[in-house]
Amino acid sequence: MLTADQQLINEHAMSRNRFLRRLGIVGLWLNPVFSYFFLWAPILVLVLFSFNQSRSVASFSGFTLKWYSNILNNMMGAESAFSTELLLNAFRNSLFVGTVATAISTVLGTMIALSMARGKYKGKRLLDALLFFPVVIPEITQAISLAIFFKVVFDWFALMSGERIFPGFHTIVAAHVTFNISYVAIVVRARLADMDPQLEEAANDLGANPWQTFWRVTFPLILPGVISGALLAFTLSLDDFVITFFTSGVGTTTLPVFVYGLLKLTVTPEVNAISTIMMVLSTLFIGISLTIQGRAVPRA
Amino acid sequence: MATYDVELTDIVKDFESGGAIVRAVDHVSVQIADGEFFALLGPSGCGKTTTLRLIAGFEQPTGGHILIRGRAMEGIPAYHRPVNTVFQDYALFPHLTVEQNIMFGLQMEGLNKKDARKRAEEALEMVRLPGVGKRKPHQLSGGQQQRVALARALVKQPAVLLLDEPLGALDLKLRKNMQYELKALQRDLGITFIYVTHDQEEAITMADRIAVMNEGVMLQVGRPEEIYERPGTHFVADFIGETNFIPATLLDRDAGGHGRVKLPTGDVITALLSDALEAASGAVTLTLRPERIGVSGQLISDDSEDSDITTLDAILVDSQYIGTDTRYTLRIAEDTDLVARMQNVDGQDKASLEIGQAVKISWRLSSTTVLDR
Repeated sequence: MLTADQQLINEHAMSRNRFLRRLGIVGLWLNPVFSYFFLWAPILVLVLFSFNQSRSVASFSGFTLKWYSNILNNMMGAESAFSTELLLNAFRNSLFVGTVATAISTVLGTMIALSMARGKYKGKRLLDALLFFPVVIPEITQAISLAIFFKVVFDWFALMSGERIFPGFHTIVAAHVTFNISYVAIVVRARLADMDPQLEEAANDLGANPWQTFWRVTFPLILPGVISGALLAFTLSLDDFVITFFTSGVGTTTLPVFVYGLLKLTVTPEVNAISTIMMVLSTLFIGISLTIQGRAVPRA
Repeated sequence: MATYDVELTDIVKDFESGGAIVRAVDHVSVQIADGEFFALLGPSGCGKTTTLRLIAGFEQPTGGHILIRGRAMEGIPAYHRPVNTVFQDYALFPHLTVEQNIMFGLQMEGLNKKDARKRAEEALEMVRLPGVGKRKPHQLSGGQQQRVALARALVKQPAVLLLDEPLGALDLKLRKNMQYELKALQRDLGITFIYVTHDQEEAITMADRIAVMNEGVMLQVGRPEEIYERPGTHFVADFIGETNFIPATLLDRDAGGHGRVKLPTGDVITALLSDALEAASGAVTLTLRPERIGVSGQLISDDSEDSDITTLDAILVDSQYIGTDTRYTLRIAEDTDLVARMQNVDGQDKASLEIGQAVKISWRLSSTTVLDR
């Protein structure tokens, strides 16, 4: 039999527990709300004001699509050197750089992933660590290092042959490939890790040589990873500003560099519209990439 | 003409693991005849799967020679060997249909699609799974996938089929059915089967010959009844079925494979010596299967004059009814209990045996085997 005091203490403890549990539930609910707010609020503002009637960002005065139609009709801001042709040109440059860089980095990245998953050699651990290097080092560091690297190489080349190479698409593509390889390799390797290595033995056992085994068994099974890695690389390439800025030459302006040029004057609603379109495109590619990655390896 | 389908000579396989060398297969030599159902039996990690992988060509031996159909296998990759494998987890290609899985090996041989498809269909009929060709492997049950894996390997018409615990993932009833079917299939096709299993019952019921392996060493190779009735080592006797081990002292042995041993009871009896027995005298182990021991009322023979029969006094310590049989625990000496198992037959008065009762037990000379301690 409990004494009255004990009972009182028990009740007190219980009500305190109840309170803590409620606080926990509310906290767990608020946590993602705040997180998403910080993540998305600035972007939401941008998207919202790309549809704003008023040129000022002070207030939202009604819905319009005129900024979107402006960018397609050579109109933007007052004194800016904007023309739709320049915009489309920059967009074309971006697509060109993105496509070439993606193609090269997908092949190289997939090969690295294969060698790390199946190969047996010294220094594999080191390569594994180095693979994450481009992912973690500051972009500006990589950009400057690439700019210096190209200068050194081109100077040396000019000294040897008398011909001078100038930065252009080739330098941008090379720079994009350097950071994209890592992303492709990481995504493909994850896919390879999920694959049953016995399937390759089974193919061998049935008379397939290593080449046939790769194209008929390994490649079809890692293909979703390869596509996903390629889409990721393409998106990163399309979005990149810093590295492109430091490695581009004359007449190779990509879309992000072009937008930056527009911003030198003033933030106009048209820039908001362009940014929104770019964001939608990137989100789309990443969404597809994640969807493909998320599909489990089919198991027998 | 090769006498044997598969010949292993002094095979050694070492693996490096964390700087240390682990010997997975230790000087294994064995000859497997054409059309034989050969089981590699042992606990997990005994080297049986590694031995199979060496024959398949997935691993290269550290030492020794492998001949398949008289041809040396050094430097011949898995895809050029006349063997096919049924993997433990089937290893069916998940991105291909059942039909494409079976056609895979044929197309690697350069067979055209039409003929390959026809052969695949026949193979599916052979494993009694017609009409599933268009499905993907994951749409089939475990037992069906097992049959597809079998069809995929057999359609290549290999000289030797290697099976790595092929029934391990199936439930008991399905396993029993598949054992029967596999055996029948092997008999009909006349293909040499090398069958890896840790299930001694499976090995005994299916194989023509069994090799018992432990710690990389092939301890004994023989027909199932030889392995069961004449085990060569303590491990083999213990691993295959249930048995009694009685510590004994070997007094002397004759050239005919008999020896006189002294039991813990003080009795001196005659017993059969294992072929592998090395000791000339001294401490040995006598092994005796439970079902070969007769207990009062069901004595092996009442004729005590028969010199082939050993009869001892014992105390019944425990009795356990297990359906078909009754298991008796019998004490013949301090610290020495024997297990006897007797079939329950109609008309037998089981109530006549009570715990604590003095009984007589007996066995035949041919049921005994003397092993090194």
